[in-house]
Amino acid sequence: MRNLRALRDPALLSTVVVLWALLGLFVLYPLAALLGRIFWEDGQVTTAGLRAILTDPHQIQAVWNSLLLGALVGLAGTALGFLFAVTAARTNLPPPWATVLDAATLLPLVSPPFTAAIAMIFSFGPRGLVTWHLLGIKGYTVYGLGSTFFSETLTYFPLAYLTLKPILAAMDPNVEDMAFSLGSSRWRVFRTVTLPLTVPGLANSVLLLFAASLADFATPLILAGNSFPVLPTQAYLQITGLFDLRGGAVLSLVLLVPAFVVFLLQRFWVSRKYYVTITGKAGARSAIKSVAPWARVVLVGACLLVAAVVVYFYALLFYASIVVALGANHAWTLRHYQVIFTEGLKAIRDTLLIAGVGMPLGGLYGILLGYLVARQRFPGRQTMEVVSMINYALPGTIVGIAYLIAFNDPPIVLTGTAAVIVACYIFRYSPTGIRTTVALLSQIDPSLEEASRGLGAGTGTTFRRVTLPLILPAFFAGLGVVFIRSMTAISATIFLVSINWTLITVRILENMTELALGPAAAFSVLVVAIVFAVIAAISALLRQFRARGAVAVTSLLGG
Amino acid sequence: MAPTIRGLFGLAVAVMLVAGLAGPPHAGAAQTLNAYSIWPENWARPMFEEFERATGIKVNFVRFSSGEALARVIAEKNSPRVDVLFGGPVETFAAGIKEGIFEPYKPPTFAALPARFKHPDGQWVAIADDPLVFMSNNTFLKDNNLKPPSSWEDLLHPAYKNMLQMADARTSGTAVTGISSILEVHGRDETRAFEYMKKLRPNVQLYTKSGGGGTLPVGLGQAGAGIFFIVDALDTKAKGYDVSISFPKEGIGTAAEAIALLRGAKNPEPAKRLIDWATSPAMQSLFAKHKINFVPAHPEVPVEPSLAEVLKGTKIFPIDAEHAGANRKRIVERWVNEVLNPKP
Repeated sequence: MRNLRALRDPALLSTVVVLWALLGLFVLYPLAALLGRIFWEDGQVTTAGLRAILTDPHQIQAVWNSLLLGALVGLAGTALGFLFAVTAARTNLPPPWATVLDAATLLPLVSPPFTAAIAMIFSFGPRGLVTWHLLGIKGYTVYGLGSTFFSETLTYFPLAYLTLKPILAAMDPNVEDMAFSLGSSRWRVFRTVTLPLTVPGLANSVLLLFAASLADFATPLILAGNSFPVLPTQAYLQITGLFDLRGGAVLSLVLLVPAFVVFLLQRFWVSRKYYVTITGKAGARSAIKSVAPWARVVLVGACLLVAAVVVYFYALLFYASIVVALGANHAWTLRHYQVIFTEGLKAIRDTLLIAGVGMPLGGLYGILLGYLVARQRFPGRQTMEVVSMINYALPGTIVGIAYLIAFNDPPIVLTGTAAVIVACYIFRYSPTGIRTTVALLSQIDPSLEEASRGLGAGTGTTFRRVTLPLILPAFFAGLGVVFIRSMTAISATIFLVSINWTLITVRILENMTELALGPAAAFSVLVVAIVFAVIAAISALLRQFRARGAVAVTSLLGG
Repeated sequence: MAPTIRGLFGLAVAVMLVAGLAGPPHAGAAQTLNAYSIWPENWARPMFEEFERATGIKVNFVRFSSGEALARVIAEKNSPRVDVLFGGPVETFAAGIKEGIFEPYKPPTFAALPARFKHPDGQWVAIADDPLVFMSNNTFLKDNNLKPPSSWEDLLHPAYKNMLQMADARTSGTAVTGISSILEVHGRDETRAFEYMKKLRPNVQLYTKSGGGGTLPVGLGQAGAGIFFIVDALDTKAKGYDVSISFPKEGIGTAAEAIALLRGAKNPEPAKRLIDWATSPAMQSLFAKHKINFVPAHPEVPVEPSLAEVLKGTKIFPIDAEHAGANRKRIVERWVNEVLNPKP
């Protein structure tokens, strides 16, 4: 009955209703429209497509490959993200160094499609800069599990970093101090205090990365080769190659099963652990002393090594943008930049507008939904959490086509507008914000909010005055990811661009088709520059808003 | 007096209103149409600009790869967003016919075109022809003391081990045309053709998703050679990459590029004018001017001299669309099972 009582709170009730309406419109309705196309033929249900796919040994192989790749990327990426997060939040890094770390983790997130894979092939191909010219390895095969895993881990570990850093940063050093004063060694404190407190975050991060890898299609499209088929590329091939929408959709729906299982596992596992490190009673924060000086050197060294690899790829990309034709004519030129600022200007304008509108909406949606599912009790709470993950877990190709089918015909016609692209980005890329909010809230003692309500504040006021300042980092993480993805994603939105609205990523793909590597690289460099500028602006803004007395809001994105 | 003035004023307002209301259709006489182009923008844009210059009709377009364009048109078929599907290999159009997305239309040049350049009912009509070629990296050839491959057998040379890039038959018209070529040079004896492809498999480093996907790796020397459409190969060369283009003496296939009117098109008249124009010498004689290396489909348009020079003395045969179409699914499946992922 407690569930129903919660609904008498008008602020809560209206938020729940609005969120369900949005989820219904932009997640469930397109999915239903797609399912209708798949299983409904001439007025009756057909499962022929389903059976054909599920009995094909190649497709079964692709299922296993996807699971393997997702698990590897989830674990390795989380480990790498944790390494960076510990280094950034637990070693008292001087601010300039922290900025270097933040920048290095931002770069891979800002990787526009295809160009990074090309840099990878240029470096590690059979005649690659590294494999052939530097190491002298002959006939090295770049295509397969190894390079796909490497590339995806490097691309997605920043998501782990974004999820873990606020958790580690928000952890009160006093908690560790208590263990120290009881005589624990640093390693023991790390193992028995710091690490367990991070478990919800780690679980969230593995889930996010697993799902991201499961849904990623650009990387395996270029790097997986022929011996390692995975589901998203199989689905894409089925639709765009064999013109079999039904089969492609079935393959994509298969992807939902493992994503859902991991999600349930994580819920079950994490929900048994309950950690609160931020309470109303915290005293002054003491200095962090959990990492020994030698360990700090090792951690920073390891991070710099990874950062060097990342920076190398982007240096190569930048080089490609200022020479006539990479690999053929290395004369300097600014022509490519001239091209993107004339012919490409419309794409730049459209992309900025779409990303700029989607960013605050996505951030807001992320913390609202995260807050509701983590803190409030109302009927259908768990379902809401699951539904909010669907568009993230599905490959972009399918989300794009589902939107196209759903919003092309009445009652709701949105194709050809910018709104449909914005909606696609928000509902596909906000789960980072949602997961971060949930993870952060599980660290914060609900008694803080109970106290506020006990003093007569409504849900709305409590959220605004108490919870919001505490979860602000999650807001900015969510907003940052939506912005970055709006600048770089392509798999879903390739189906939603129109005569009226186009995107930079579509231009990059087009340039790659025309063998115009120079403009493609120049666009990529521009995207990186814009994202960095925007993130820097957000960080500056965040410093302004840092409320006195609240937990020091350590900005995720370079504050 | 005053009422008259007021009356005149009212009349003037009324006239202006009517003119204003009637205005837009007149002003809108500068017609427009919408298209999905499968040709890359650097070829589609100059063609559409020439069309606008010739007819005053503006073409709004977006470019997609053939598979994406078809998937979109099918998804939008209840309410098409565009009027014309422009460019792209005939097999894409063949796949669209059974989805009922095209409106048959026979342009004035229909009768003049050879049978392989048109669908009998006018579901699609060809605008260009695109032969396959071998393209190889000159540095790779020099390092291995090889000449540009001049026979299908040359590609079996051990120096090519793991150094060929070709298109994936499941996704690429280039690959399907390639397999049809191999079938054709083996006298349509599938057993022998598949023997050849199985022998070729160890030399193939990667089957790319799109037909042009391997051009950059070959240009960069990450792959030694591959089979590509001539437009892609000549483009790679024009970009400055040091590559050779050659033809097998046994012959190689060619595939037509098409245009079609979509069923339910909202601007059918301008769309038909675009089809009329694109299937006639009016457009196809402009290929040379814009350095688009397609072979014109219309028999009266001469091949541009430098392209003709490349094609001189080569053996190029059309792929029998009927045979290829009827067997496509089965052959691609066999290719996947026996060549791509042979069962152990």
